[in-house]
Formats: sequence, C-alpha cells, structure tokens
Amino acid sequence: MAFPDDLLKDAHHLAARGEKDLRQSSLRRAVSTAYYALFHLLIADFVLNWKRPDQRVRLGRMFDHSKMKQAKFQSANPTPVEEDLKTVIDAFAQLQEDRYTADYDVGTNWSPKGVENTLAIADEAFKAWRIVRKEKIAQDHLLTMFGARRM
Amino acid sequence: MSREYRRAMRYPQDEEPMYLPSVAANTLPIDRAVTEVAERLAPDVQYIRYEIGWDWSGDPAIFFRVVLSDEASQKRLRKVATQVVWHLARLLDFPSMGLFPYHNFRSVSEQAVLREEAWA
Repeated sequence: MAFPDDLLKDAHHLAARGEKDLRQSSLRRAVSTAYYALFHLLIADFVLNWKRPDQRVRLGRMFDHSKMKQAKFQSANPTPVEEDLKTVIDAFAQLQEDRYTADYDVGTNWSPKGVENTLAIADEAFKAWRIVRKEKIAQDHLLTMFGARRM
Repeated sequence: MSREYRRAMRYPQDEEPMYLPSVAANTLPIDRAVTEVAERLAPDVQYIRYEIGWDWSGDPAIFFRVVLSDEASQKRLRKVATQVVWHLARLLDFPSMGLFPYHNFRSVSEQAVLREEAWA
C-alpha cells in the first residue's frame, strides 16, 4: 500500500482509538494525519512527472503549504471532472486548517463526530483525486499548487 | 442565532495589522443565510455559529461551527454536513466576500460534554 494510503489508514485508526478512549491526543493526531495523507497523495503524483527518480523527494519538499491552498479553481458550469477536482481543492483547504487547529490550538477540543467528518472529507478527496488524477486539468492544478501561475 | 464576529486575530502571524474584508462590518446577510440554512435543515441541524477572522496562513476566513442532532450525527453525518456546506455556499458568495469558508461539526451530546463557549 502506498504511503498516502497508509497515512489515511493510520488516521482512521487514531480516530477510532480517540473515540473509544476519548483521547484528545489521538483525535488531534487523526486530523493532522488525514491532512498529511492528502498532502502526500498530491505531491506523489506531481513528482512522478519528474524524469529523474532520485530527485523526486527533493522536488516534493519544495511544496509550500500556503501556496498549495491558494491554488484555486472556479468554473460557472463545472464538468464532472471539474466537480471532482473542486472536491479535492475544497477538502485540501479544510483539512489544512483543521490540521493547524489540531496541531497548535490547544484551546480547541475535537469531538469524535468532528473528527469523523474530517476523515470523511479526506476519504472523499482520495476517491475524487483517483478519478481525475490523470486528467490535464488535474495535472495543471498540481502545477498551480506547486506555485506556477495559471496560463 | 449567530455570534458576533471577533476582530481578534485567530492566529497572529506577525506585528503587521491585518484587515478583514468589508463584509465583516455588516454581517446581516450572513446572519440571514445561517438562519435560513439552520431552519431548512432542522431538526438535523440544531444551530450554526460563525466567526470571521483569519485562517492559519493569514487569509480572511469565516469559520462555521455546526451543531447537529445526535440522530443526524450518528446516522447521516456526512450527508447533513455536505448539505450545510452546499446551502451556505449557495446563499453566500464567499469568493466575492473575500472569505475562505471553513466548516466544523459536532453533536448536541458532544457539546454538552465539551461545553465550549464558542460552540454554545
């Protein structure tokens, strides 16, 4: 199983443990891990376009979380592919904010249902991305997430 | 129904002043939308609170906190959550407002245990 899938599976494991034991630490780690699962899923597909495998890790580390969130896509009448891409984009922004809250805002408590919803968003994003990942518009979006301006 | 927005920085990034979009000065359209969505999706949606501030990266944002009935959160959490997000986006043009929307959910029972003021 690929690393992003393992992370997502870990997130679910942590969420289940957090719900059972009512542990904030597990619930928070579940949210954070779900974000990183999607983060690595997208980066893994981007760096696959780089010809030299030995340089892909370095390339992946050049991604900036903030720039990735800023990469927006709008369409008045979205096609099914665009709808799936929007699902990924919206999920990425929500998960990124949730991850920040989970990791740094100790004044906010996470509830099991809140975490369950966050993980469902990640699940949907994984599913949607795997439908569109080879489409030109999806590959273009990865480039925008990397920091390139849209043409 | 909705809470007054706070002008406090949610995540201070630096010493530079940060400004919110003008919509923060008149939240009546947001109040109306929140009320409409809560009423449309009742009793699954018990109430919705919101706060305007900045997200982790310093972008202006609106944070919705949605409290669901225990039954809805147990049996159809994702369905109701998706409906809330969809209806709010239908009624409020977030890109034009200059706000990033974020949505979080919990059940009535969870809030009864956690007792967080921001969710009350």
